[in-house]
This record gives sequence, structure tokens and C-alpha cells, in this order.
Amino acid sequence: MNPNASPLLKSAADSPDAGAASPPAAANRRFLYAGGTRPLEGYTLKRGVGQGGFGEIYYAVSDSGKEVALKLIRRNLEVELRGIRQCLNLKHPNLLNLFDIRQDDNGDTWVVMEYVGGLSLQDAIDAQPGGMPIDEALAWIHGIGAAVAYLHDHGIVHRDLKPANIFSDDGIVKVGDYGLSKFISCSRRSGHTESIGTVHYMAPEVANGRYGKEIDVYALGIILYEMLTGRVPFDGESVGEVLMKHLTAQPDVSMLPEPYRGIAAKAMEKDPERRYRSANEFLAALPPLPAALPGTGRLPSGSRGPKDQTANGQEKGNPYFSMGEGPGARAASSETVIAATAIEEEPILRAVREAWTKLVEQWNNAKLNPTAKVLILSGAIVVLLLSMQMWVPLCIVSLIFYGIYRCVRWMVLPANKTATASSVERAPSPPELAKTVAAPAQAPPMAAQAAKREREHWRRHYEKSLPALVLRAPRERVADLLGSMLLSTLVAAAMTAVMAMALAFRDIEPAAEQLAWLFAMSVAGSWTVLVPSKWWEGTKGESMPRRFFMMVLGLGLGVLAWLAAGYFQIELPYDHDLGPIFNGFVPKSFYANASPLLPAYVTVFGTLFLLIRWWRQADPLRSTRLSILSLVVTVLIAGVIAGLWHFPQPWLPLLAATISVSVQLSSPWVHPRERAAARS
Amino acid sequence: MECEGKTVAKNFLLWIDAVGGFWVCTGETVTIGQPDEGCESSPDVPILGDLLHRHARIRRDGECYLIEAIRDVRVDGRSIPRVDAGAKPLAALADGCRIELGPSVRLRFRRPHALTGTARLEFASHHHTQPTVSAVILMADTCILGPRPHSHIVCRHWTEEVILFKHDNELFCRTKGPMQIDGVKIRDRGRLQYDSQVTGECFSFNLEPL
Repeated sequence: MNPNASPLLKSAADSPDAGAASPPAAANRRFLYAGGTRPLEGYTLKRGVGQGGFGEIYYAVSDSGKEVALKLIRRNLEVELRGIRQCLNLKHPNLLNLFDIRQDDNGDTWVVMEYVGGLSLQDAIDAQPGGMPIDEALAWIHGIGAAVAYLHDHGIVHRDLKPANIFSDDGIVKVGDYGLSKFISCSRRSGHTESIGTVHYMAPEVANGRYGKEIDVYALGIILYEMLTGRVPFDGESVGEVLMKHLTAQPDVSMLPEPYRGIAAKAMEKDPERRYRSANEFLAALPPLPAALPGTGRLPSGSRGPKDQTANGQEKGNPYFSMGEGPGARAASSETVIAATAIEEEPILRAVREAWTKLVEQWNNAKLNPTAKVLILSGAIVVLLLSMQMWVPLCIVSLIFYGIYRCVRWMVLPANKTATASSVERAPSPPELAKTVAAPAQAPPMAAQAAKREREHWRRHYEKSLPALVLRAPRERVADLLGSMLLSTLVAAAMTAVMAMALAFRDIEPAAEQLAWLFAMSVAGSWTVLVPSKWWEGTKGESMPRRFFMMVLGLGLGVLAWLAAGYFQIELPYDHDLGPIFNGFVPKSFYANASPLLPAYVTVFGTLFLLIRWWRQADPLRSTRLSILSLVVTVLIAGVIAGLWHFPQPWLPLLAATISVSVQLSSPWVHPRERAAARS
Repeated sequence: MECEGKTVAKNFLLWIDAVGGFWVCTGETVTIGQPDEGCESSPDVPILGDLLHRHARIRRDGECYLIEAIRDVRVDGRSIPRVDAGAKPLAALADGCRIELGPSVRLRFRRPHALTGTARLEFASHHHTQPTVSAVILMADTCILGPRPHSHIVCRHWTEEVILFKHDNELFCRTKGPMQIDGVKIRDRGRLQYDSQVTGECFSFNLEPL
């Protein structure tokens, strides 16, 4: 079964078929028709809403002022129309209305539909990651269940029920995207090769080509589970993994309260015969809606206002079809509406952050091969080391002034400038008004926001960057690993030479034995990173266990470093400009005559491998092949560690830099073009 | 209001493909109220809600926005005395504040970009304009359309910014890459009419006069 075969899973960037009227030059999100045109008599298109596997959606206004959505069908015309014609006269308050099917002068087919600008259930779930209140979930599921029961009652299976297809229109649940619904008929229940639905909501029997009403019941169970827990019962790194779980794994319903535990478990039974036989039976098992909620599927008032959440930065879903979905992406994002919670970021910090982002972008987009990048980077490191005495004090002074400025700013400016002024005798000046009332700040601290952004980045990274791209057979992995280890050895040799030059600029003339130690430890360090990283490749994993494991390896590396130092009979000289950060912090057993002993080596290397998430630098889905940011952070952390443990400077930062560059350059990297191609 | 370019129109609609529709007000003062179809006194921002035809007035005063209550208006839950009370009741609007008009219409005021005077009114209740738009833009001199969070209109999938700006009482558009305005290739910047269609490498939008 190939879920990509479903038109619903096509990328939003798909260009429509070239068969119809000549489209404009290929461009992302370029629509066939411009706003203001009237390809279909009686309607003026205002704007494109979205593009999908089988055409385009426009927001349009009829000549008499009725707002509608117009769906231009340009792919799978027969498949689409067959489903839509069957649904055209369905009428239910929880179904998105289909008004008409029309043809324009070019012979293109348009579906005229109800326009709903509301929030999707996916948005509501995303806004409450820990699960939504039971009353709210109950209102949603009753509305969805009522729509599905109505469809079933008319002999139609939805086949693609998912939160991204379900909307709240001023509190009324609306189930959309049933245009691909099919008849339930004996002849079509099996033997159908086209896969359907979205993998997270796909019943196990779909794998066998069986798609009766039970697959909708299964999806209802999954949606109920997801609403109450905030996550789907079966998730994974790849489509195959999720499908396998649907087929074999039992959902963990233990966190659901009764009666929802039993209801969800029964709806998600592997055997369709053991599930509820219909949506009506599923609905009957649910507790009734609270009497205070008027109308079928009417949501509680707190969850009704779709635009409240839009204002908080949530994007609205697309009521008509899913967009931008790859096998690993559940949430359909379609219309990008004004997002962005306004973050009151301090201007200097913002300017620095933006400048840094720009610099990194330019570096990443620079058409330079890795060798040139290494050379430039090495040159930059040498210059920085040379001029350290000049810029380090300058940075420290600037930071002190900036800290003072932030303190003053914090005291003078209220965190949230909300202000109102009541009636005054004279017309107040704007600044006076602005000072009158101040509401407490509600925005989370910047650090928390940064951490959230980071988590979000990595979540997207793994959910949307197609880990399947990097999942390889064990034999291929081993071959990859051996290649990386060999390459890392060569890069480590080159980097050792660069570091020797850097040391020479600091008036340290390293002996051959010292360079041999640096090279040997760079190779050992690179391999220490490459081996576990290859093992973890393509999997999310938790950070803390991995850090712990890396720390253990780091301790071992420390022993090796101590043995190597003994073998080469070297002393690591101190660069006294880069001395310890604290005095008296280190046990006496660490050093003898300022020379590090085994405990010092073990501690320093253990700390280095604990604090840095080395495996990310070897991740094939990292943003760039060689990240300056990762390198700089690695060097800084190594410098701080060496300073804290009084380890001779600058050997640890040099070693960390060498390992970082070796790991990044020798690890495989999936080019963004390949990722984009895989997504589409 | 002229629609043929020479003078900056007071209000126009901005329809952005795959992003949304926006009601753009370029005047210093904007009235909000119930639409009055075909009437000259129709407010600048007509909202289908339980409002008077002229319910509130928002004024841009230098770097600050002030709201004047013609009828019942609350800002962050605080009632603003009405104009007919005799004094000069005004309230400054800060980024993120919540404006309540009448019994049920709720708006949120945003100033996403600190360096421009342009602001955005978002609908926090289910009410909307006719035709339905995603937000109202109170445009000062510039309006930034782009992928960054501080854009006045966030267009998440765009790769570059487009800036609409007023100059010599006319409306212009500029972006880094090539673009076409009404089918004519333009580099850097171009003048807009109030029914212009603008397309670029990654974007397309059109204006509609009001």
C-alpha cells in the first residue's frame, strides 16, 4: 500500500495538470486565476485559498454577494466528481455544504461550496497539547459522529476523517472534505488498490483494501483519543512504522477516564467486526452532551471563537482539503492568516539576533565547497585567536553595559504596554495616555520562548524532514559509518595542521608529540561521536539518556587521552591569557605540578560529552552540512569547561573544534532539495 | 477616494493568494460600525455586528493610536467614556490590547513592527466584515507583507518581503526580486493602481478598490 497514491496526500506545491487552460509560469503557490477574474459566470474570484492534489480552491463572491468557496478540479476528475455528485444533496448541520457543480467556458469543472473560515479541530488540539477538556471533546465528537452517521446512513464512507478536515464554524462542528467519499457497495468494498486516508487515522484493514463504515468508526476512536490526550495513539518516524503499529500494536488507553477508555478501545479494535458497527452505535455509547450546549455539535462557548486563537498565532485550517501533507505530517496547514504573537523583544537583542541569522543564512547559502568553508573558518578562528586580547575585553565591557541597559529598561518600561485612559478634563498627550494603566506581562520569558522555538524546530525537523530518507539497511549503515570514520580521519589530520598554525599565532610552538596527541584524540573523539550517532540516525530519542551515554563514552575518551599523553610523554602547555575561570574549584588530585592527571582528563572529557549534543552534528537532517553555530557553541562550551576544571588552555577548545568539523564534514547530509523532493 | 492611482485611496481590499484577505485603511482616522449599504456615511470598517453605524473611531496620532468611543467601547475590560459625555475620552491602544465594541464584537489590536506606525485589527469574536477578511490593516506609511513574525501581514510561505508604501500621495510596491504589476515586469519598485494584480516569484496578490 502506498499512501502517497491518495490525492489527499499530495503536496500543496503540486502544480496542477497542464491539461487545462495555460497556467502561469511555474511558481510556488501561483494560482491559475488571479483575483478579480470571473472564470465561472456569476462569481468573482477574490483570491486563491489553497492548492491540492486535485486542483485549486478559491474564495469567491457571487454577483449577489454570497461568499463561497470554488473548487477547480483539475486532477482525478472522475474520482472527485463521482464522490461529490453523490454528496451534492446531502444536508446536515455538521457537514460542509456542497452547493453545485458547474462548468466554465473552458470546460473546466468547478464545485461551489460553503465558505467556512473557522478554526480546525487540528488547531484546537495543537492549542491544548495536554488534551482538551472533556466537555469540549464531547461536543466535537458528537458533531463529528452526527455527520459521519448521516453519511453512513446515506451509504457513504468518509474515508479521510482527521482533525484537519473538521472545523468549527461559530461553534458548529463542520466535517469537510468528503468529496472523496465513496459508495459502500459490495463490489467496491475490496479489491480497490488506491490507498486512502491519512496514515495516523487509517484503520488496519485498509491495508487489505477493505474500507467499510468501520474505518470511519476507527478514525472516530483515534480522534477521540487524540482530543483527550493531545496525541495520536500510534506515532512513528515513518509511514511504515505508523502503519505497522496500526496493524499490530495495542493503543495505550490507560490515561483515558471511563467511559472514554472503553469507548476508544472498542472503536480502535483491530478486528473491524469487534468495533462499533456504525457511527450511531458509537454515538450512543458516548455520554450525552451537557444540556447547556444548544444544538447538535455546538461547542462550548470557550472553544467556539475561531478567531481568538488566530489572534494568538494559530493558523486556520483549510476547510476544503488538506494541503502540504507528507506521509509524516498530520496537521494540514493551509491559509496562512496573520500569525505571530507579537513578542516584545528588546531592539538591540533583536538586531543582533537578526544580524546573526542573516549571517548564518548567507553562510549556508554561499556557493562554496566544504573545503573552502573549512579554510575560511580556520582563517577566522586564527584571526579571532590573534586578536583575542583586543575583542574579549571589548565584549565584556559591552556585555556589562548591555546588562545595565536591560536592567534600566526593565525598570522603566512596563512589560506590557497595555494602557487605557479614562475621561480627563484636558486632551492628554499620547505618552501620558500610554503611561496611565499597565497590565501585567503575560508573555512567557524569552528563554522559555527560545526553548520552545528550539523544541518546535526539532519537532518539525523530525516530523517533516522525512526520517525515511535516512533510514538505511544495517549493512548500508555499517558501510556509511566506515566511510565516515575514514573521512573523519583525513579531516582531523587537516584540522590538526590548522590548529598547529593557530597555536603558532599564540606564540605556542607545539611539539610533534603534542600534535600527534591532538590528532589521535581528534580521531578517537570523532569516532566516539560517529558510532552512536549512526546507531541513533533517523530516530528522535530523548536527549537526557543520550547525553548520559555520551558522557560515559567521554569518560572513556578521557582515559584514552590520559594514556595517549603518557604514551607520547607530553606536557600540555598553558596559554596564560586563557586561564582558569575560578581558583580553588578543583580537587588537588586533578593536577600534579600543573600537569593534568587521570581524574582531570576523565572529568573534562566526561563534561564535554555530557554538555554537547554531539549526535546532532552528525544528523543527516541537520540544517547545513557544516554549521558555524554548532562549531562556535562547541568551542565556547569546551573553553568554559577547560576554564572551570583548570585544564590547560586552549587544548580542549582546539580538540573540540577539530572533532566538530571532522564529524560534520564526514557525516552524511541530505540536501534540502532531496528533502523537498521527497516531501512532494 | 479615487481608484485610479493618483491619490492614495482611503480604503482598499488586499487579496493575497494562499494567505487571506485584508481590509486596508490608509486614513489617519478610521471609523468602525455597522455597514450601511449604499450610504455615504458607511463606516471605514463595516463589521456585521450589533453596532451603530459609527460606533468607535480610531485615530493615529504620531506613533500612538487612540480610540474614541462614540457608543459603548471597552479596552481590556475597561469602559471608555462616550464622546457624548462632554469630555474628550480617549484611550491609547497598546499592542495586544482587546477592544470590545457593543455587547459582542471583540477585536484585538496589534502593532507587529515597532518601527512603523502601521497596525492591525484582528477579529477576536466570530464577527466579520462584508466581504469577509482576515484582518483590518491600519496603514501608516508602509505595510510589510512577508514571512517574518513582525510583518504586518504574515505570509508564512513567502521567501521574501513585499512592502507597500505611500509616496507623493500614491501607493507603491517594492520587493527584492522581479515582479509583475498588471502584467508589466517591474524591477525594484512600481506604482500600484487600486485594482492592480501583483505577482512575484513566490507570491501573488491583488487590490480591490472600496
